Amino acid sequence: MPDTLDPHVRFGSNSGQPVTRRDGLAKVTGTATFAADNTPDNMLYAVFVPAAIARGRVTGLDTEAAAAHPGVTHVLTPQNRPPLQGDPSDKPTMFSFRFEALQDDSVRYAGQPIALVVAETLEAANEGARLLNPKYERLTPRTDIDDAEPYAFEAAGFGLPANTVHGNPEAGHASAAQAIDVTYETAPQYHNAMETHAVVAKWEGDHLTLDMPSQAISMSCAGFAYYFGIPAENVTVRSPYLGGGFGSKAIPTGPYVLAILAARMTGRPVKMMLTRQQMFGPVGHRGQTRQRLRLGADDTGRLTVIDHEGIAATSTFDDFVEPAANASQGIYAAGALRSTHRAVKLDIGTPGPMRAPGEASGSAVLECALDELAEKLGLDPLELRLKNYAETEPGTGKPYSSKALRECYAQGAERFGWNSRPRAPGQMRDEDGLLVGWGMGTAFFPCPMFMAEANATLRADSTAVVETSAVDMGQGAWTALAQIAADSLGLPLDKVDFQAGRSGLPDGGVAGGSGHTATAGGALHAAGGDVIRQLGEIAAADPDSPLYGAGNAGFVARDGRLYVAGDESRSEAYTDILARSGGAEIAGNGSASRAPETAEQHAMNAHGAVFAEVKIDPDLCQMRVTRLVGAFAAGRIINPRLAESQLFGGMIWGISFALHEEARHDHKRGHIVNADLAGYHVPVNADVSGLDVITVHEEDPYVNALGIKGVGEIGITGTVGAIGNAIWHATGKRVRRFPIRIEDLLTS
Amino acid sequence: MDIDFLLNGESVTLRGVEPTRTLLDWLREERGLRGTKEGCNEGDCGACTVMVTDDRGARALNACILFMPQLQGKAVRTVEGIAGPKGELHPVQQAMIDHHGSQCGFCTPGFVVSMAVAHLNGDTGHDDALAGNLCRCTGYAPIVRAAEAAADQPVPDWMRELPEGLIADPQHAPESADALAELYEARPEATLVAGATDVGLWVTKLMKELPDLIFLNRCKDLQEIEETALGLRIGAGVTMDRVMEAVKTRFPSYAGMIRRYGSAQVRNAATIGGNIANGSPIGDNPPALIALDATLHLRKGDARREMPIGEFFIDYGKQDRQPGEFVEAVTIPAQADRLKVYKLSKRFDQDISAVCGAFRIRVEEGRVSEARIAFGGMAAVPKRATAVERAITGKPWTDETVMGAWDAWEKDFAPLSDMRASAEYRLDAARNMLSRYLLEDLGAPSNVLEVMP
Repeated sequence: MPDTLDPHVRFGSNSGQPVTRRDGLAKVTGTATFAADNTPDNMLYAVFVPAAIARGRVTGLDTEAAAAHPGVTHVLTPQNRPPLQGDPSDKPTMFSFRFEALQDDSVRYAGQPIALVVAETLEAANEGARLLNPKYERLTPRTDIDDAEPYAFEAAGFGLPANTVHGNPEAGHASAAQAIDVTYETAPQYHNAMETHAVVAKWEGDHLTLDMPSQAISMSCAGFAYYFGIPAENVTVRSPYLGGGFGSKAIPTGPYVLAILAARMTGRPVKMMLTRQQMFGPVGHRGQTRQRLRLGADDTGRLTVIDHEGIAATSTFDDFVEPAANASQGIYAAGALRSTHRAVKLDIGTPGPMRAPGEASGSAVLECALDELAEKLGLDPLELRLKNYAETEPGTGKPYSSKALRECYAQGAERFGWNSRPRAPGQMRDEDGLLVGWGMGTAFFPCPMFMAEANATLRADSTAVVETSAVDMGQGAWTALAQIAADSLGLPLDKVDFQAGRSGLPDGGVAGGSGHTATAGGALHAAGGDVIRQLGEIAAADPDSPLYGAGNAGFVARDGRLYVAGDESRSEAYTDILARSGGAEIAGNGSASRAPETAEQHAMNAHGAVFAEVKIDPDLCQMRVTRLVGAFAAGRIINPRLAESQLFGGMIWGISFALHEEARHDHKRGHIVNADLAGYHVPVNADVSGLDVITVHEEDPYVNALGIKGVGEIGITGTVGAIGNAIWHATGKRVRRFPIRIEDLLTS
Repeated sequence: MDIDFLLNGESVTLRGVEPTRTLLDWLREERGLRGTKEGCNEGDCGACTVMVTDDRGARALNACILFMPQLQGKAVRTVEGIAGPKGELHPVQQAMIDHHGSQCGFCTPGFVVSMAVAHLNGDTGHDDALAGNLCRCTGYAPIVRAAEAAADQPVPDWMRELPEGLIADPQHAPESADALAELYEARPEATLVAGATDVGLWVTKLMKELPDLIFLNRCKDLQEIEETALGLRIGAGVTMDRVMEAVKTRFPSYAGMIRRYGSAQVRNAATIGGNIANGSPIGDNPPALIALDATLHLRKGDARREMPIGEFFIDYGKQDRQPGEFVEAVTIPAQADRLKVYKLSKRFDQDISAVCGAFRIRVEEGRVSEARIAFGGMAAVPKRATAVERAITGKPWTDETVMGAWDAWEKDFAPLSDMRASAEYRLDAARNMLSRYLLEDLGAPSNVLEVMP
């Protein structure tokens, strides 16, 4: 097997096993401590007042009434807010957005914090907030994507996607025998993790302790340190459990900063927990897009061009732009590729990364547009995709580090029964007279790596402690990373004490981009390898060890013993090696990142194919997804149980994107009318049925030391398009917006 | 108010409790039991689900919209009390671990309690029992598998408990309809609280002050279902889970709609009287009750009156109810079942209807002899389609007659466009519902509910 694994570490005794989650017991008994469950003594409650208008300024706040309410201790407004040491308009870290922390009386979007009330009880804080009774000067809000002119920009780092051209798009258009030119829209979506944002902030001198959900612990420490003018090492973030993150919990936000400020001002711990309604504004969302796709193909169905233009809504005061058009790069072997982005500044909260940012919105549209082309060419949709299968990365010609997409298509189609699909729409009905449609889409997601470090210490009793500030937002880091660590140390899982979820440990990197297991896992793997290397050196140099002199052969570490590679009759327990060496612990460390030259050599993506069946009531147009089959190739799977769950979750997000999620603005007043879980729909159990996941075997010797590609986000890609295509196939009606609404299918 | 109840098997005595204090806030902020989570604070997500037992048995309820006085004399179990006194795991907890039912874990305590209640009650309709719990990570299948796996395990002893029958504060929680009538006549400005699935939101979401409350949950005589000479009389305090059972065989289509009415937690708390009395234009009961020609029984002091239920709804937010007068019961006349109820919503469960139509069409010798058609979501009040009824009554029961009523729909309704559906969709869907009724009646197999998984 071609592998860049250290040869002395046997891999797979823990990894690859469907271990149940190690935090399961805490979660089912209610003892897992989430941020808002912390209630230190002498604590105050902070509640922010959200702006009820989307544009204008605050002209009046009845601070006297609020301050006079029993239990209210402080009312913060732009008039009396103590200074911050870092400007909220600065961007001290990669994951920083400009935010509102009562700098002035302007209102830039509905839901923006315009005041903060601090009180002895939550009730008093809420009542104080109500009593403030804000008065506004209103300006006409701009919340519709047509309310402002799109503008172009130069790519400039996080949140500003590149415009990319490969080949000659104009020649591609000119040479096309068949072409389509279609425009789709996707709705603004809000992360809505089940746990809302919450923080308990406590100052001791110039040291700040934050109990808060964070997907990026080290970067959060650095960010908060900046705004409060203290060294990053003076910030402690404790984030053992996140009630979901999906991208919204990586970035310091205005509400957090205000709560921390209140704690510093009062000298007491302060808790702030956002209400569900407050999640629709200051904590990010997936920006609305309008995407135009022009595809050209020759007579045989080979793509001559994919020309993808994205317009995305962003805020008036920051510039995160949903990188939707980038989804058309790197997946199909078109003669020419062009992805361009423009933005529209609206009176909305700044969008940000939300599960599969760019890929989700972009692939939804790309996969539907391809289906439109397939229809025009008279080709089966899968056939069209196979005709344009990219053997090397389109545009760059780089080889893929691995790519089992063909197997995904084959296995997914087989499991779904795709071959019996009639090509024309409206051909299938079930026994109850419902319209039935089948559609498919290609799933893909890049395999980024971040930076992470880890420590591992092997103790004399053959137990170990491993440390990294990794984050478990539900995906299973407590379990999968511990499995990797145990393997790297050649120990059973229950011998390893895995420390993570807080600062003060080696930097575990960012839980995002589907790269956390690879990155933090890589660091743990290296740290464990470092320990085993040292242990091997001790044994090989020890005349009393059966391993004496075997250093050149190398060792295999397994179940607390070192074996001579190639001669397993020679072995010794760790405890014996360590006992003779004086019983000292062995400490190792490791780090993981991807070298730029490695990144240059290969294109690295996870791939998949998703097949969907929908059933639609012909009279009432109600739609249900009745079957979804997803086949995914994502390199090494550390824990199949966790990975499947991630893929299921992603596919359900695909259902949600296609049929449910949409924040609806009242464009006259600028606020979101469905800012709650009653109106902002995420699927319920009954919306989800017949889900099937296949993980296609794939070995990747290049992507990283562990061969891991990541599974957190890919499930949503492919799924949205598959559902849109299935709806067309059921009805013959092509709906070019997501979510697809019942009235979109009305034919009479 | 003074409140006595059992919490995880232990007696709790509280004095001077703010009547709009929710159980969730009290658990988390005062009692220090923080396993129960807040996900939405308005009964949409189920993260705060607790088990509440009274002499009618154990039910799952949303703690976030449950006012403390509603617990008087009952037994509450939170996730901390689902495991045994010595920390023994409940079978559903073990199954959730084994089947990977928790991912981020924030919704998990609520799921565990919903599952434990269903397990206790021998309810194996897992999909229905869990319809009110939202999960954003795992996607339900592992959770349903866990529920299935635990179903055959014995119920642990600690789950069976009988609360003490304690007397509540008679000024705010009367024990009978007579006592209520007297109190409410004297204090007509008071807010009546039945299940609090609506009033709860006035507090948690609208931050309304409710200075005087009268809780109805102790009025046993409002919670009776009787078969009378006139038909099925359902007390105003009967919760929707019991209404569903009561109409299951008489009007299966009505029961099918109720199954999608809120979640188990909401049905267990919401009362039929509350759903009628709040006069919502999108309440799901009134269309069915209007189509069934139900009679509403109102009471003020000792004076009672009755009216066809459709006449109760005068205009948006305005009902034919005097100060101090309350809904005492509703009677559905005995009849052969000709009812079909169609609830249209985007999401299958837990969704407010875009359109809810109820049809009862009697046919004699091939002609429509009587038609009663009523809608929610099409006007400012639950409203009859009288022009359509006239247009088809006396005519042959055929597709031509249905098509002939095309223009009549616009005489009856001028619906609004909103985020749930466009006006055009609403009107066309309503028309198509009548076609659907005809098709089903003539034997074509089609049922919206059968799309369900």
